[in-house]
Parts: sequence; structure tokens; C-alpha cells
Amino acid sequence: MQDSQQTAASESKAYIKNRRPKNLNLLSVKFPMSAILSVGHRASGILLFLSLPYFLYLLQLSLTNEAGFLLAKAEFQGPLVKLFCLLIIWGLAHHFFSGIRYFLLDFDIGIDKNSAKKSAVLVMLCGFLVFIFFSIRLL
Amino acid sequence: MSYQAKGLQAWLYQRLTGAFMALYIVYFIWVISFSESMTYTLWLEWFSHPLMNTATGLFIIHLAVHAWVGMRDIVLDYVSNDSLRLLTLACISFFLIIISLGMLRIFFSLALTIQA
Repeated sequence: MQDSQQTAASESKAYIKNRRPKNLNLLSVKFPMSAILSVGHRASGILLFLSLPYFLYLLQLSLTNEAGFLLAKAEFQGPLVKLFCLLIIWGLAHHFFSGIRYFLLDFDIGIDKNSAKKSAVLVMLCGFLVFIFFSIRLL
Repeated sequence: MSYQAKGLQAWLYQRLTGAFMALYIVYFIWVISFSESMTYTLWLEWFSHPLMNTATGLFIIHLAVHAWVGMRDIVLDYVSNDSLRLLTLACISFFLIIISLGMLRIFFSLALTIQA
């Protein structure tokens, strides 16, 4: 009895494995806003992770002595650094707001489909607003 | 393989560290944006204040835990080759340990210099 159950289970497992779509064309799938938001959450997380050494270097520079502080301050004047910082600011804002959304979803706040959709749009919008605000301030 | 944090535990770590870092970041940006002309003395004073120094130390540890759980989840999702997975995870943990030790060193030495 148990044996037959086990073989059935392993057979269905193999079946699922074989039936997995390969080379799935991502463009054929319609992504809802919350899916795009989730991808953005991951992408911004990776972005922030990779930018850590640079900001560690700047922090260390700014705290060593007065000259280092001025050097770190001057670093932000470069146009490329400004653009990079804007990207990081967007990443941080997006990660921040979508993180708060996930936190609320964990407490079943706004869990139904309609409000989840609305909050996803709101989070995207907040991220872009922060991005635009700092673009105006920095550039 | 559990990679040191599994299921509910990892989920809880992610939320708690995220909540702490969110508060810290809001405070940090608040101070930065209301001090138009930040000077070296003010900057040093701010980071050397016992509360800020401790909070920053905690932030570094929280950041390492948060980044570890997040990056681990991503690697587990997308890297299916076992040896490649182990290699990426090893690189990520090495990277995070170096970064957080480097940051903690800066802040500990800062606390010591102020005392002296």
C-alpha cells in the first residue's frame, strides 16, 4: 500500500518535472503591477547590495579627517556620481516603500486583490516621486 | 541545507531588521536634509554620540542579516546548480562579513578616539 503510494508520488513528481516549460518567453506573460513591484524590490535589493562598498569607502573617507570629509563631499559634485546616486536613491525608495507594503500585507492589511493592486501602484508612484524630488535637488 | 536561517526564522529576521533600518534611514535622511551645510566637526560629533554610534553599529549588523537573507533567497530561486549555488553563497557571505567588519571597525575606532 505504502509502496504503491510512493511510486505514484515519484511518478507524478517526474511528470511535473518533464512538463515544466522550457525557454519560457517572458513577453508572453502579462505581469500585474504587484509582480513588477516584486521584481523591482529584488532588483533594487541587489543594486543596494552591490553599491555597499562604494558607500563604505565614502563613509570611511568622510570620517578620517577634515580633508577626507571635503573630498567625500566633492565626490558628490561629479555628474556620473550624481546619476549613480539618483539610481541608488530610487532603489532605496522603492525598496523602502515596497518593504512597508509587504510588512502591512503580512498583517493582512490591504490583502484583498483590489487594494493590493492599488497599493502596488501607490508604491511605484512614491518611488518615482522621491526620484523626481532628488533629481530636481541634485541636478 | 538551511544556510543558517530557515523558514519562519528567516522571514522574521527580514521583517525585524527591515523595520529597524526603515526607522534609522528616516532619521538619517531627516537630519541630513535639515543640515544644509554639514561640517566635519558636526558630522563627527553626530556619529560619535553614544546613541547614534550604537544605532549605527546595530544598523550595520541588521543590514548584514537583511542582505544575507534577501540575497540567499534570490540565489536559491535562480541558481539551481549545486556547486555554483554554494560558490555564490560563499562569495556573498564573504562580501557581507568584510563589509560589516570594515564598517564596525570605523565606528568602534570613532568611539575610542572620542573617549581619548
